[in-house]
Amino acid sequence: MIRLRMGALLSAAAILFAACGQTTTSGAPSVAPGSVAPESVAPESQAPAVKEGGTLVAAMPGDISRSDSALIDDSNSSWVMNNVMEGLVGLKPGTTGEVIPVLAESWTISDDALSYTFKLRQNVKFHDGTDFNADAVKVNYDRWLNIPQAYIDAEYTYYMDTVLGHGDKSNLESVTVNSPTEIVLKLRAPNSAFLLTQTLVPFAIASPKALEDGKANDPDFTKNTYAQGGPTAMTGTGPFKFKEWIVGDHITVDKNPDYWDTTNAAHLDSVVFRIILDSTATLNALQTEGEVDIAQTISPIDAASAAGDPNLQAIDRGSSCNLFQLSMNQTHKPFDNLKIREAVAYAVNKQALVDAFYGGEAGAVVADNWMPVGTISYKPLDLPKYDPDKAKALIAESGVTDLSFEFWYPDTSRPYAPDIKGEFEALLSDLEAVGFKPTPKTAPFRPDYLANSSGGKYPAWVLGWTCDWQGPDNFLNTAFFGYRDRSDKTFGPNEEFGYKNDAMWDAMDKALKTTDPAEADQLWQQAQDLIRADMPTVPLVSSKPPAAAKAYVKGFVPAGNLTELMQTVWLDK
Amino acid sequence: MLKYIARRLLGMVPVLFGLSIVLFAFIHLLPGDPAAAILGQHATPDRVARLRAYLGLDLPLYEQYLRYLAGFLQGDFGESAITGRKFVDEFFVRFPATIELTAAALLFAVGIGIPLGRFAARHVQRWPDGMVTVVSLLGISIPIFVLGLTLQYIFAVRLGVLPASGRIDPRSHLDIQTNFIIIDSLLAGRLDVLLDGLSHLVLPAIALGSIPLAIITRITRAAVIDVQNEDYVRTARAKGLTERRIDDRHIMRNAWLPVVTVIGLQAGGLLAGAVLTETVFAWNGVGRWVVDSIHNRDYLIIQSAILFFALVFLTVNLLVDIGYAFLNPRIRYA
Repeated sequence: MIRLRMGALLSAAAILFAACGQTTTSGAPSVAPGSVAPESVAPESQAPAVKEGGTLVAAMPGDISRSDSALIDDSNSSWVMNNVMEGLVGLKPGTTGEVIPVLAESWTISDDALSYTFKLRQNVKFHDGTDFNADAVKVNYDRWLNIPQAYIDAEYTYYMDTVLGHGDKSNLESVTVNSPTEIVLKLRAPNSAFLLTQTLVPFAIASPKALEDGKANDPDFTKNTYAQGGPTAMTGTGPFKFKEWIVGDHITVDKNPDYWDTTNAAHLDSVVFRIILDSTATLNALQTEGEVDIAQTISPIDAASAAGDPNLQAIDRGSSCNLFQLSMNQTHKPFDNLKIREAVAYAVNKQALVDAFYGGEAGAVVADNWMPVGTISYKPLDLPKYDPDKAKALIAESGVTDLSFEFWYPDTSRPYAPDIKGEFEALLSDLEAVGFKPTPKTAPFRPDYLANSSGGKYPAWVLGWTCDWQGPDNFLNTAFFGYRDRSDKTFGPNEEFGYKNDAMWDAMDKALKTTDPAEADQLWQQAQDLIRADMPTVPLVSSKPPAAAKAYVKGFVPAGNLTELMQTVWLDK
Repeated sequence: MLKYIARRLLGMVPVLFGLSIVLFAFIHLLPGDPAAAILGQHATPDRVARLRAYLGLDLPLYEQYLRYLAGFLQGDFGESAITGRKFVDEFFVRFPATIELTAAALLFAVGIGIPLGRFAARHVQRWPDGMVTVVSLLGISIPIFVLGLTLQYIFAVRLGVLPASGRIDPRSHLDIQTNFIIIDSLLAGRLDVLLDGLSHLVLPAIALGSIPLAIITRITRAAVIDVQNEDYVRTARAKGLTERRIDDRHIMRNAWLPVVTVIGLQAGGLLAGAVLTETVFAWNGVGRWVVDSIHNRDYLIIQSAILFFALVFLTVNLLVDIGYAFLNPRIRYA
């Protein structure tokens, strides 16, 4: 696991260099060692007719988990806190990979790629009126390195664990204050993905006074009011500031009148993030006058309704960071046979899934890789297209006569599979049509389905992955085929798929560790080719979760990571 | 009467104690690992092991139970394994919402169900009785989820006369003190918010109250039919009393007992939360929260919540039994 984590830490030059090489966005800053980051890239300026004021009500499909940005790893918490808290760096609005300066004006990276010297903005205040400076940054980084063990054991610190590590296991060797406006972060080993990881919400800088007053480091979590919506919760420097969190109901943030970036101050007076679990109820609330102004995610079918309603607008996020696949475990027959796995790939009609369950191309794209388009080092792999005759021929060539197996699906739909039961039934039908004899089975998603699938108990099942960050390591290694510590205490192929290919792992392992971007890219490409040849699973679709809003909501800049900034939003009414 | 109440209150203790053991056993019989449930797609063998140790799940079952019991007796009802928050903090944010919804649903069910039942009994075997039967059948047959979404679509989306979801308009910026919208709006002197809160109650109350309405209607009808054929009712008529007086003083006084029993049972059940109504109307009550806790194997929350529901149920039934003594003076509790 440590190897896996360190691999993730060192991961992908790809992530960094994809940030440089991405063609989907413009203005990506150069952050190679020895360089200086450019001036801040502010969000795009608004049209002159912007109206100030008003309260926007946003529907969210679940509650935040905690009100401490360091202790969250879910998209709901990230969305709310991305509007209240800021880090040294951030993502250019509308992108998932372009790093821009935020609380840091600029930075330099030493030639050995170990030291990051940040020049901090001046005259910035936290929401409680205290000063933002290098000491405040150090307090935060020191806190993350020494977070109470109880929080680690309780699994509140996923991103701290996987990105930074703790104590002497951390890749962050030291945090040194040079002056009130300059701080140096020194790594133990080069990590070209370091800056990208620091754009994640858990690495936002909080007011040290608020942390202390809210007992943010109390090992007894029940005393930690900072993390439980207490008066000092979520005290950052962002364009909005925390007002209240009514657990299970809503979170309210108010405009920060003293926001440091005066050209990009919020237009709205406040945003209320309302929790509505049911997708139909969300659409009803959106269609009702005076209820919800924007829904963060709606089902693809409802997006079509929204697009046809003159009072609403469907919002195409344009990109995704997920993959839905038909998985197979090679320790179960008949999936130990390559031709059988290829037959499955030819048997399933992916385009039909997109058309029937995702509202067409607006809602999803047919997958042609084990990661979505836009991921660093992505290449089209020309995966098998729907061809039942070819599938039958492959089955005949395989020599396998017993085509029966258990085929599993979970009881709950997923963000990348809005009607997972319906999609499963379509796949079941495709497999039966070419001669397979699958027995449909189901289990509760948590904990049974996840535990059983990851433990290698299922021969075939449907599941997917929503990325932590958009790098090849997160999909190919962390989620799918990276070798890891197993339940039998050995290090080897992921038990979930039983897929052993030492050359594939070797390529991935080297890609994770190299700091040469060209070499990393080549190694990731090589890994993809090897996986393609083995067809361990069948990638199906990558969904683009649509949003919807009232027609009068303007200025919303969508992004595939669903943590959009609301400071650019205004109400044209 | 006081001795009776004291005896009943004391009697709750062994009931709750026994229930806690049965609950604990059943919860731990649920398949699946809570640690794996919490970690979801981030679950790895060592993370699962570490979380299990943190949650005390690697201890022997009897030791886990004793730790829970010791905490319970000291007023510590445990923390959520998911959020880390104390049970009381999570529960009492949501329970006021459930109380308000339950009260509204019962008001709807009782306010319409009893008159409807009486009306049907007065016209037994005739077309008004048939109509009431149809209404009752509809109430009990239409799934709450379907009814709720339909009401939402008609009255909120199409007609725009009622809100679709939630407890108040979040733009009202009400200062939440008690989590009872009615009380908080009165404390803040906000009549506008009070009216808004009441309007938000209408649709979920109808959806949630549809089944109790059907049941109360049928029970009232049956109880009234039973009583109205008694000798003393015929005697009252023979004495020349008006039908209104006979209805109120002789029929209903005796028909109330089974009706009150049913109302008590319904109230106890509704207070345990209404997961479907809460989901459709984004109503922040305890029902959905407890069901999610079961899905997530949040053991301490499940245990404490169900014990609390049991306490509520026992209390409501005690109140119903006390109510009998007032309704029927012949009933005396020693």
